[in-house]
Order: sequence, then C-alpha cells, then structure tokens
Amino acid sequence: MARMKFYCDAERCIECNACVTACKNENEVPWGVNRRRVVTINDGVPGERSLSVACMHCSDAPCATVCPVDCFYTTDDGVVLHDKDICIGCGYCFYACPFGAPQFPEDGAFASRGKMDKCTFCAGGPEEDNSADEYQKYGSNRLAEGKLPLCAEMCSTKSLLAGDANVVADIFRKRVVKRGASVLNKGVSYQNASLRASSVGKDK
Amino acid sequence: MIADFIDGPFWYFSLTVFTIGIIWKLVTIVFGKRKADLSVARGSGISGAIKTIFSRFKADKGMTPHIRLQVVAGYMFHLGLFALLFFAAPHVLFLEENFFSFEGMSFSWTPMPHWAFIIASEFAFLGLLMLWLHRVLNPVSRLISTADDHIASILTFVVMLTGCLALLESFNELRLLHRFSVELFLIYFPFSRLMHAFTFIPSRAFTGAWFGRRGISS
Amino acid sequence: MSNRFMSKHSQKFTCQIYFFLYLIFFLCLLSPLNVSASGPAASKINNPSNDLWISVRHNTESGKVTSQVKSVDSTVLINPQADRWTRFRMTQLINYGLFILSVVAVVIMLFYLFRGRIKLEEGLSGIMVHRFTDYERILHWMLAIVFIFLAGTGLILLFGRPLLIPVLGHEFFSVLASASKEGHNLFGPIFFVSLLLMLFRFVRRNIYAKGDLTWLLKGGGLIGKSHVTGGFFNMGEKTWYWIVILTGLAISVSGLVLVLPNFGQGRVIMELSHVVHGIAAIILVSVSFGHIYLATKGTEGTLESMKTGYVDIKWAEEHHDRWAKECHDNDRLISAEDYAKLQGRVVLDQNVSASPLMEETK
Repeated sequence: MARMKFYCDAERCIECNACVTACKNENEVPWGVNRRRVVTINDGVPGERSLSVACMHCSDAPCATVCPVDCFYTTDDGVVLHDKDICIGCGYCFYACPFGAPQFPEDGAFASRGKMDKCTFCAGGPEEDNSADEYQKYGSNRLAEGKLPLCAEMCSTKSLLAGDANVVADIFRKRVVKRGASVLNKGVSYQNASLRASSVGKDK
Repeated sequence: MIADFIDGPFWYFSLTVFTIGIIWKLVTIVFGKRKADLSVARGSGISGAIKTIFSRFKADKGMTPHIRLQVVAGYMFHLGLFALLFFAAPHVLFLEENFFSFEGMSFSWTPMPHWAFIIASEFAFLGLLMLWLHRVLNPVSRLISTADDHIASILTFVVMLTGCLALLESFNELRLLHRFSVELFLIYFPFSRLMHAFTFIPSRAFTGAWFGRRGISS
Repeated sequence: MSNRFMSKHSQKFTCQIYFFLYLIFFLCLLSPLNVSASGPAASKINNPSNDLWISVRHNTESGKVTSQVKSVDSTVLINPQADRWTRFRMTQLINYGLFILSVVAVVIMLFYLFRGRIKLEEGLSGIMVHRFTDYERILHWMLAIVFIFLAGTGLILLFGRPLLIPVLGHEFFSVLASASKEGHNLFGPIFFVSLLLMLFRFVRRNIYAKGDLTWLLKGGGLIGKSHVTGGFFNMGEKTWYWIVILTGLAISVSGLVLVLPNFGQGRVIMELSHVVHGIAAIILVSVSFGHIYLATKGTEGTLESMKTGYVDIKWAEEHHDRWAKECHDNDRLISAEDYAKLQGRVVLDQNVSASPLMEETK
C-alpha cells in the first residue's frame, strides 16, 4: 500500500501561498482555521527559505498518542485522520504536535476551542466517502476519487509534493542530483545551477 | 425515543404546568380575600407599594452585619443566574426559536460574549453553593429548612450543572440531560418556594401598601 | 661496516636485515593508516543551509521568521518540546500518577486494618467546645465539594483513555469526557476563589510554632500510643494546610494559564503549565486521601468539628492540648444540655429528643 507523505522543497518555495488558498477553498475551512501555512525564514535576505507546513501524517502520530478520547486513526494509506464526533476540543493534540497542525475554530476564552480541525491530506473523514456530511465536517475527499491533495496540485513551482513517499522521495532525489554542489555556495541553489562560467562568480 | 419525548411531549407538559401553575398561584394571591383596612388613609397605598418593591432590594440596616454572607452570595447567585438565563448565547437562540419566532419572523437580542457567560455562571455557582451550605451548616437555618428548601436549591444546582456539562454544544445526550432537568424544574416551580421569583412583587407591594396607607415608610 | 666481532658473511646478513626493516618502516609510513582524515588541503566547504535547518529543528531560529497566517505559534516550524511533553504525559504522568494514587490508597487501607479507628482514651464526655464558625465550615465544605468534583473530572480526563475506554467504549466515553472537560474548566476558577478565601481565613492558625517539631518526631501519635502536643492545629494539620495552599495555588495558576489560551501563550508555556498542573494535582489528590481518612474514619470525634462546629472537650484535650487548655482558661466549655439547645434539640426531663431533621451526634 502507498504511504502518503508531503514534502516541501525549500529550494523552490516562493511563498506564493497558493497552497494555503487552495486548501482553504477546497475544504471550506472555517474562519480562523489554517490547515496549511507557509513559513518564511529570513524574508528579504539572500538565503531566504520558505516552507509550506500542514499535517505531516506521522507514522507514530503524537496527536493520536495523547488524545484523551482516542479520536484519531490512520488509514491504510498512512493518512492520519480524526473523528470530530468524538473530539471534545481539549487542545492536547495541538500541544503534542511539533508542527502545529491541529487548529481550532474558536478563540478559546475559557478553553472553548470548538472541535479540532486539521489537514486531512484531502482524504475526508470517517463519514461515508464524498457524502454531504463528510464535506461539511472534514472537507473534500479527493483521495477517494484517486486524486492528490489540492495544495500540492496547485503549487506554482511544484515545491510542495504529495503522494506516495517513495515516489516523492525519488522526485526529490533527482532534483538534488541535478542541483549538484551549487547549494553549497551561499546556500542558494539556483544561483549557480550550472557549471557554465557565465553564472559562476556572479554574486560573490 | 427518549430524545423525542424530552424535546416533545414532556417539554409541552412542563411548560403547561409551569404557566398555568404560576398564573393560578398569582391569581389566588392577588385576588384573594383580604382583611379590609377600615382606618382612615393617611398616605398613599400605591406609592408605598411601589417604593417598597424597590427598597427591599437593600438589606435591612440592622440585619446586615448578621446576614452579610446571604446578601453577598444571594446577589452573586441571582445576578449570575439572570445574566446567564437571558443573555447566554445558547439560551438567546433557544428563546428566539421557541418563544419569539412566528411565521418566519423572530425577535432576538444580542447575547453576551462567551467569557462573560462563563464568569456569570461561576458567580452563580459560587453563590448557590455558599447559600445551600449555609442552609445546611447553620443550626438555625438547618432547623427551619424544609425538604422543599433543599430540593429547590439542589434542583437549581442540577439544572446549572447539566448546562455547564453541555457547554461544548455538541453531544445530544448532554443537551437532553440539561433539557430534562429544566423540565423537572419547571414542573416543580409552581408548587415550591421557587415561586418567590414572582410572588416577591405582590408580597412587597402588599406590605408597602398596607403601611403606606397608614403613612408609614417601610 | 667492517666489524671485528662478526664474520663478513654475518655482517652482510645483518645489513640485509636492517635494509628490510627500514623498507618496512618506510612502507608503514606510507600506509593509509597514517594518512590524516582531512581531505584535500583546500578549505573545508560547509553546507550553509546546515545552520539554518539545525536552528529550525531546535526552534532557536533568531532571524526573521514570518508567515501570512497570524495565529499563535504559526511561525514555529518545529516545537521540540512537543515530543517531550507527549512522552511525559503518556508514560510518566499516567503511570506514576496511577501508581502513587494506588499506593497511597492501599497504605491507608492497610493502616486502618491494622490500627483501626483511633478512639479517644477516655471516651466522649458530652461537654463541648466551639471550634469552627459557620463561615469557616462553609468555606471548608465549599472547597471540599469543588475539589472532589475537579479531582473526579480531572482523573477521568487523565486516566480515561487507558482505564475507561475499554469498559465504556469510545462514544459513551467521549460524552463523559466532554462533560468532564467543560465542568472541570468552569469550576476551576471557583476552586481558586475558594482557596484564596481559605488561605486568608486560616493562615494565622497554621503558622508553625513551638511543639510542632515534637509532634513530628513522635509520629503524630499515629504510631504507638504516645501523647502528642498541639495548638489549635497540630503539625500534621498545618502541613496539610500548606500542602493544600501551595499545590492548590500551583494548580490554580497553571490552570488559569491553560484555560485562557486567548492571551496568545505559545505551546511551550501551555505544556509547562500542564506538567505543573498534573504533578501538583496528583500530589494534592493523594494527600487528600489521607486527610479524608483521618477526618472521617480515622479518628473519633473529628468530623463533628466540621459538621457542627463543636468538639468534645476530651477530643480537644487529647489532640490539641494547648488549645484545650486555652478553652478551659477562658471558660468556653458548653455543657451537654446547653449544647443540645444550641443544636435545636429540645430537652425533655432527662431525655434528649431530636427534631425530625437532626441526626444524633452521639
């Protein structure tokens, strides 16, 4: 069976936030909830990096480990999902997730967060596939239609990859080989992408 | 099935008992036969009645040092309860849907923010617990308290507690538990001391009118 | 080369041996074992991205980290404390917490089985002394009721998954857990307020004084039959008071941090608060087992102090001799007849008849 993973290629991400917008639109994500976010380090400085982060669909998901009502489950494809009917909105999954994937719709005064919502790898939830109930609670179920998550499909530079881990890893491996040692120069990969003399020593 | 019963027939039954019970009790009080006051009126009964309704909100000066806990906890409880009953968002919605909507139009008002709702309920719980504990622990109060007094306090507490447990507004079982306790409360209401919520007005008015007619400020 | 001591043949042989030894020596010098690990003599190339990603991994990135998403912690790519906290809660807090609570409960049960109820040596006399006012008793029971509720709901949330889900199933347990979570969060601040009221009311009587160390060294009279001295509160009660106040304050403050996330606290603060909250709660609940036992089944004549506010003078003399002496000196003793009247029981001739709502305090 495939093991679904995301990979965001930090060398290619241009912080366009198309993935964020695509996710919010496709899944009708409520106000204040951000299933996917783009984080930029050293914005505006050479060597700036951006990463698109949502849920990492961990093999040993800490959110699933810590949930007091055990509402998480992992599908055969390795996608980590949860059951909103069981969720009590305690927020522990948010504390346990190193990536901050769980989100809550309400502002939380007196810990009234509402039910947890997070990236589902566009795989819906425990309700029947592609039913109205499922869409209303969890967003679209593209995986059941044989499609990949919309964030990766919409990525303008194909930095965000989603799919079977082996396939994704292979794509990235090819990229790394092609980029070669140029990354070692100032940490910016496409600056000296080829060994042609014209591009060498340009920005030293 | 139980859900349909609680949301349906039992709700209407409890509402009917509540409404008819209150009207009946108030009618018997207000229109009951009273001893005629044959003395010459020295002051206005009506102004005395109205003044007394409001003046009794402040505790008697001589009593205050002895009943400080009852006054403080009493106001905490009643004000908190009033605020959360009529201004908590789920209640505003409930009242609008069940009492104030007709043929597609409805009347509603702005609820208070969620944090204010919680704080109001905390005041209400604090006040109610302190008052009931005082009733149980003070030997005089304990002696003069009847079963009605205890049941009223505990039933009110149960209504508030079930409401608190259902705060997430997600699980039907908890909502039904709260609604069921409310219905029991409504049925119990007209036959108990809880009627003080309505009878305090004619009670104070009568005392105020009686003394006002004799020219005494009470 | 010429040598008086060796024949020409031997000398040649020796030279050959030396030659081979030197050859082997030079070959050894050339061996890869001797070659240093540093590569080409040119400068070492360091991957400049290394530092960036290491600081991201440990969340020590000090440069500008931004995101268009403006929620709490949205610029934190990796929170390294998250895993530590998860492991703390699931392995240490749950396991050690359950262990501690069970051990304390079992020890108390064993103590009761072996020692039995600690009765008064001379028995109850019927002569009473006033100990706690109405307000003090109201405060105590207020705090006790709220504490029991909070402890119950908290323990359901902590131990529910390993202990209750196998019994109740997921759906029913999540209803119970949701009710527990909402109740726990709402009653928390009420506990805080009650705790502060208790703190101010009882603090003066709980300052450690002379005689407390003696009490401690004698084991508080729990072991053996030696007499221990005590003031209004003995050392054990004072210690319980301070445990309640200190752990209670820790629980309350950390609880308030947890229950008001709308002030923008990051996850690390929340995780720390949760750790404090959990540990303090386990301590408080386990010591409360001891308090509840001693105050009810453990010693004769104690529960009355909190129920009626009056205690038997014999109980006072045995457990709080210094305070009992004060009561004697200030003539605060109340005869059995007067006490019955105070409790609203009418005394007819020699019999004491109870009013229908009162239970006998014998």
